[in-house]
Amino acid sequence: MEILLQLILSGVALGMIYAVVAFGYQSTFATSGTLNFGQGEALMLGAMFGLSLAGDVMGGPYLNYWLMIPAVLIFGAFQGMVVEAVGVRPAIKTKSEFGWIMSTIALGIIFRNVAENIWGKDDMPFPSPISSTPLHIFGASVLPMELMVDVGALLMMVLVELFNRKTIYGKAVVATASDRDAAGLMGINTRMVITFSYALSSMSAAFAGVLIAPITLTGASMGAVLGLKAFAVAIIGGLNSGMGIIVGGILLGIAETTTGFYLSTGYKDVPGLVLLLLVLAIKPSGLFGKTAIKKV
Amino acid sequence: MHMIKPRWIKPVIGASLVALTLSAQAADTIKIGVSGPLSGGSSPMGISMRDGVKLAADEINKAGGILGRKIELVERDDEAKNERGVQVTQDLINREHVVATLGFINTGVALASQRFYQQAKIPVIDNVATGSIITQQFLPPKYPKNYIFRIAASDKIQSHMIVEEAVVKRKFTKVAILADSTNYGQLGRQDLEKALAARGMKPVAEEKFNIKDTDMTAQLLRAKEAGAQAILTYGIGPELAQIANGMAKLGWKVPMIGSWTLSMANYIDNAGKNGEGARMPQTFIQEPNTPKRKEFINAYIKAYHPAHDRIPSPVSAAQGYDSMYVLAAAIKQAGSADSAKIQQALENLNTKVNGVVTTYDHPFTSTNHEAIDVKDTVMGEVKDGFVVYAYESDKKGH
Repeated sequence: MEILLQLILSGVALGMIYAVVAFGYQSTFATSGTLNFGQGEALMLGAMFGLSLAGDVMGGPYLNYWLMIPAVLIFGAFQGMVVEAVGVRPAIKTKSEFGWIMSTIALGIIFRNVAENIWGKDDMPFPSPISSTPLHIFGASVLPMELMVDVGALLMMVLVELFNRKTIYGKAVVATASDRDAAGLMGINTRMVITFSYALSSMSAAFAGVLIAPITLTGASMGAVLGLKAFAVAIIGGLNSGMGIIVGGILLGIAETTTGFYLSTGYKDVPGLVLLLLVLAIKPSGLFGKTAIKKV
Repeated sequence: MHMIKPRWIKPVIGASLVALTLSAQAADTIKIGVSGPLSGGSSPMGISMRDGVKLAADEINKAGGILGRKIELVERDDEAKNERGVQVTQDLINREHVVATLGFINTGVALASQRFYQQAKIPVIDNVATGSIITQQFLPPKYPKNYIFRIAASDKIQSHMIVEEAVVKRKFTKVAILADSTNYGQLGRQDLEKALAARGMKPVAEEKFNIKDTDMTAQLLRAKEAGAQAILTYGIGPELAQIANGMAKLGWKVPMIGSWTLSMANYIDNAGKNGEGARMPQTFIQEPNTPKRKEFINAYIKAYHPAHDRIPSPVSAAQGYDSMYVLAAAIKQAGSADSAKIQQALENLNTKVNGVVTTYDHPFTSTNHEAIDVKDTVMGEVKDGFVVYAYESDKKGH
């Protein structure tokens, strides 16, 4: 029982890491139907930028962890705008179906190479802002930092939902998401909304980066695997549901830890991918996603 | 006009052309390939190895080079990827025309690449990769000559030492193996199993993890449930650090004993205090306990300024440095930069090479391509962020 609880707790912690990364995929897909395949790199840049401010890699620390977060958010938003302007806008303008896929992947590779040249290629520890002594819950252990990731993920979900439902800007995003042409006719500057959604996407990725870095290690290559797993989470949960991301993340996380323990650690990545295939076969819009009807 | 050419004109022109190219070559450099990962999780090893080789090459060049020619190193990043390693190999052989290559950090890359060197009859001194079969792929009599040499403690030696440490010295009866899913980890796991079997033991748990895995709960819980008293590891720095951190999180602390990669800076830094006490076989520990070592450590720190004056991977740096000197001695003995002659010279090296790891006295023969022996290897331990001698007695002798 204790073991199952430990596996579930660790699985949830792992799943929430995937979930916070997956949020970034959502906002851009909602507004423009495009995805930033450099999401993992946006996450990495946020974490490395945060480490430069709060750690000693660039002669710091200049700021403490909490003060560093707003700076990282601004940095992330800016990085997202660059991705949108360079990689996505030209593709949308020319109505290219797949141009943005190649250009966001290319930008991701460029960002990784730049990061390797600035910060080196090695993995580094990220100083933990809170105690790293594990807490014990009914005999199972959990790190305070893992709880913070959980809180962060839930907070992001609530903020995204509140923003979409309660603010006028959010309504503009939702309107653009449901029909870009109609929203344009209604006086919404849809191009701005798309730029904004990219800023929001990379901002959440950068935030996810500094949030998970104390657990996962920080390095130029940290985004690759996480970005991919988060993509699976976004597909499983549904690309247009905040709730779906959280549930998808938890499902994938728990699937990994329990399979690892009860079946074999060699197969721990398999059930998550099987789940992905099942979702794609049975409910392609994701567990919580709304089916998009494309009128031609 | 009809010109009468004397009969001897062709050979004379031919000979003078040969003489011309020869004299042009004499002023030329001797090109030596260096292949290793300069990026990614195993880059501390690749970079330290490269820097060790460079340090030795610079010293040799300052002293006038070999056979009056300077050494030119051609460095390539194989990114620890098998397919990239093969590309780098093709490039070094066919475009750069290297006379020999030093390097290979990753067993998988070494195995994928070295058959091209074997085919091209260009000797390779593997100075870091440890997979036991690396030097055994092209053994005579099946192949007329084996071009693959090694200056590094093979996994056979390492697994023997790991098991001896766990079973004989520390008397553990139940051990678990945690190995990564790469060639390195899985071949190492097999060697550990063999070494345990030689003592009539079987691991109580055998777990796998992937590169970049951040959560080790399942693996550690399985080992814990099986009653393991120690964890034997085969992996690289970042993931090994996650194992140490995972143990601290679960509140289950048993000794970690593993392959030499537990000495990597990215293990020590990322595990922090959770990584203390881990033990691993080492051919070199950054401790100036002989004049040669003192000289080497000072020169390395002066040239590359590593953080905290700590060589990222001292073993790789030392073996890289030694491999360059052994190769230089072989080229000198061969009397030319001819790859086949260098191979012969390596197998019958007459001069003693005073290296950092050990003194190389006839390091290779036609049947033995391993320069490092159990006696050249000691147990290291992570202490206060450095790798130190686990046993005081090794510090003096060795």
